[in-house]
Amino acid sequence: MSELRTVGKRVPRVDARAKVTGTAVFAADFSLPGTLHGRIVRSTEPHARLVVIDTRRAAALPGVRAVITAADIPDVRYGGALKDETVFANDRVRYVGQPIAALAATSQAAAEAAAAAIEVRYEPLPAVFDVEAAMAPGAPLLHPDWETYTAIPLLKREGNVCNRARIVAGDVERGFEEADRIFEHRYTTAMVHQGYTEARAALASWDGSGQLTVWSNTQLPFEVQNTLAEILQVPPGKIRVVVTAIGGGFGGKLRVGVEHFAALLAKKAGRPVKILTTTEEELVASYPRQSTVIDLRTGVTKDGRIVAKQGRIVFDTGAFAGSGPGVASVATLVLAGPYRIPNLLIEGLAIYTNKTNCGSYRAPSGPQASFAVESQMDEIADALGLDPLELRLRNIVRDGDEGPTGQVLSSVGLEECLERAAAAIGWGERRPAPGRGKGIACGWWTTTGGSSGVYVKLNADGSVALSTGAAEIGSAALTGAAQILAEELGIDVADITLVSADTFATPFDFGAQGSRTAFAVGNACRIAAAEVRRQLFALASRELGVSEDRLALGERHVSGGGERIALADLARIANQTGGGIIAHGTFIAPPTPYDEKRVEAHVYPAFHSPSFHAHAVDLSVDPETGDVEIHRYVVAQDVGRAINPTYIEGQIEGGVAQGLGQALSEEIVYRDGRVLNPNLTDYKMPTAVDVPRVESILVEHPSVVGPYGAKGVGEPPNIEPPAAVANAIAAATGVRIRSLPITAEKIVTREASACR
Amino acid sequence: MKVTVSLNVNGEAWELSIEADRTLLDVLRTELMLTGTKTNCLEAECGVCTVLVDGMAVNSCTVLAVTAQGRQITTIEGLARDGELHPLQQAFIDRGAVQCGYCIPGMILSAKAFLDEHPSPTDGQIREALAGNLCRCTGYQKIVDAVQDAARVLRRERRR
Ligand code: FES
Ligand code: FES
Repeated sequence: MSELRTVGKRVPRVDARAKVTGTAVFAADFSLPGTLHGRIVRSTEPHARLVVIDTRRAAALPGVRAVITAADIPDVRYGGALKDETVFANDRVRYVGQPIAALAATSQAAAEAAAAAIEVRYEPLPAVFDVEAAMAPGAPLLHPDWETYTAIPLLKREGNVCNRARIVAGDVERGFEEADRIFEHRYTTAMVHQGYTEARAALASWDGSGQLTVWSNTQLPFEVQNTLAEILQVPPGKIRVVVTAIGGGFGGKLRVGVEHFAALLAKKAGRPVKILTTTEEELVASYPRQSTVIDLRTGVTKDGRIVAKQGRIVFDTGAFAGSGPGVASVATLVLAGPYRIPNLLIEGLAIYTNKTNCGSYRAPSGPQASFAVESQMDEIADALGLDPLELRLRNIVRDGDEGPTGQVLSSVGLEECLERAAAAIGWGERRPAPGRGKGIACGWWTTTGGSSGVYVKLNADGSVALSTGAAEIGSAALTGAAQILAEELGIDVADITLVSADTFATPFDFGAQGSRTAFAVGNACRIAAAEVRRQLFALASRELGVSEDRLALGERHVSGGGERIALADLARIANQTGGGIIAHGTFIAPPTPYDEKRVEAHVYPAFHSPSFHAHAVDLSVDPETGDVEIHRYVVAQDVGRAINPTYIEGQIEGGVAQGLGQALSEEIVYRDGRVLNPNLTDYKMPTAVDVPRVESILVEHPSVVGPYGAKGVGEPPNIEPPAAVANAIAAATGVRIRSLPITAEKIVTREASACR
Repeated sequence: MKVTVSLNVNGEAWELSIEADRTLLDVLRTELMLTGTKTNCLEAECGVCTVLVDGMAVNSCTVLAVTAQGRQITTIEGLARDGELHPLQQAFIDRGAVQCGYCIPGMILSAKAFLDEHPSPTDGQIREALAGNLCRCTGYQKIVDAVQDAARVLRRERRR
């Protein structure tokens, strides 16, 4: 391949200037003349029959323009794989924070006064807050009518279990018979929030023709469009969703958030309505990461070969399925791990409880499952007297190996990731001083499929407009796509204007999720670029009298046969004579073959263009306080091909920071169905003094499908931190903490009990 | 009850009639339409609402607008001069310190107040100074690097 001009270069992101000058317009900033303030009234009971909802007093207050409850709207159940959710609680509430009513008023103060004036009376029902209690016979059912709900047929459901996904490979019992040692452990993880700095926000406005426009900070405009169509009983063709700048998403803004409330209120009030979620609402009633209980039973030979693994990961999905059925499926692939294990029986369950509805958070299920798998790898290594790195190297997958569901793996950079991360952290000295230790963890993840379309249009000045239905959530993935387009057209990224995410104006995109944006949109750009070239060469050939096969594109010109013509001239000619130069590029990742016999009730049976990674950390633990000080943190990640190293490092540094939060401090604390810490004082996210410098090593084993070999990079850095940290803490202290977060308090009490 | 307040924002004088209990953040965003100052926790816990009042970084969500009367208020919109970016803004771009961007106005203003007092900081001092500004995207590293770069540029400018 000839030298690349733009791909692989540290090009600044296209939206950087708007973002440093405060001119980028986020959903929280957006307003229209006459916009009303919307507010949601939420349940204060975890499980109760709704006896009375009286809105009369609220509706009569000054400034109030609309009040709605379940009685005012179409009776619709919506959702992803399982349609179990309603806009408002109808006859019963199922969690503290569940919407009961919504209202719109001319000022924030009037909206608050009205919310306080709504009278709700409850009759408490027995509630269940724990997954094991919820699975026990005779447990209170969250959804007594669960059998009547619409769901994708492959889910396996029963009472409070809203999916039970499985991987079965080989014969796990026979495998355990071959094992010299069998290890059994339980790990638990807490509910955590994505922590985006801009809360979910939307503004909805209906025009006289019955068309709805919603400006939102959603990651998935097309999904929101369809969900709104379902809820409002209006055709999608009447619903325009426009994505504003997004103040972070990390999976928390995938599904409809406040758009439906804004749309319903705007319809009733006849005026635009904006809703901006409060921090308290975010921590009480959003789509956080599920807490889990994980059991692992692993059989190994004396020389450290894993011969059998039985595992079960149970997700507390809250009062509705949310992303649970899918996340429980994905989890099984992470729980099997990036290891060659002939005999597997892995289960992922999503369970209803009386808590907020959980969703997706950057590499959904990844950190929880990885925490268990990679903690246990170290426990096994210690018991066998093997080096943890060596145990991994003896079991990891390599090119040509099968994944847990039989997919054949290629371009596996895992060994290189492990070796390089270990070398960088100075693995030879694992316990350099008393109270100091190093930990390592590795893993794999998918590059989510789904289709992407782009329009690429030549502007009158010879610059190019790239129009995509994918949203920019901050990762700079669309800058990556623009780099790919620029490379293909021989122009600079500065020559590209980005038009992003408007369900009426831009082509379909499966959405900014699953580490797929640069990958899929980038590939669509390549296809579109080929078509743009074809159109340009046909026109230039006519204009220059040079045959197409002698033409080349570069420096904003088409040239050949000693002649050249500027793109601006070609654009002008095309605009005058043929409707301009425009191309539609589309891409969908090819299916990844797997062994169908190995999976049951599985929504995500194989990892597409999988990425591989290893994290290594060097830290000290203060024996008195339990405080953890991180000295160094190294990530080696197989990115396939680094389209823009700067922003890949950015993904790694940011993903590690979030992962350290989950590892050490973050937890949405529930007691009896109520969140005890719904504020940023008590929900502790890492600040600049908590996060160490992260050293990124970009390993490149190109994907055959990815643009220029790229693999998905956004989610993986969030997966391994809890496991790497847990392993380092164990190395430093000799104490193994099997529950997240690993707070100072847990370390001190366990250390104390270990010494006794 | 409404009161009359005169505010000086980014060198411009404003005369406003507002309720006495409104925060500076609210007035900047909804009266002056300066939405570059961001809103989030409203409890002085995240720093996205940071502005400069007489050169000091404050969380505008917990400052009453009336108390800012007679002081010089700088928001992110007032940082670039005649279309030329402030060295901090340029450094944030060059270092790739911007992701979603929502924390960035507050981050840049906190950094400016800090660098005005500490022209040659260590990384650790920068981290301390920015500890009140949450960023969920970047892991802070490129932000710290950008602040160091800007500090170098500003020192050079001062010497000139
Ligand atoms: S909004 Fe002011 S500190 Fe969070
Ligand atoms: S760049 Fe997104 S919060 Fe800082």
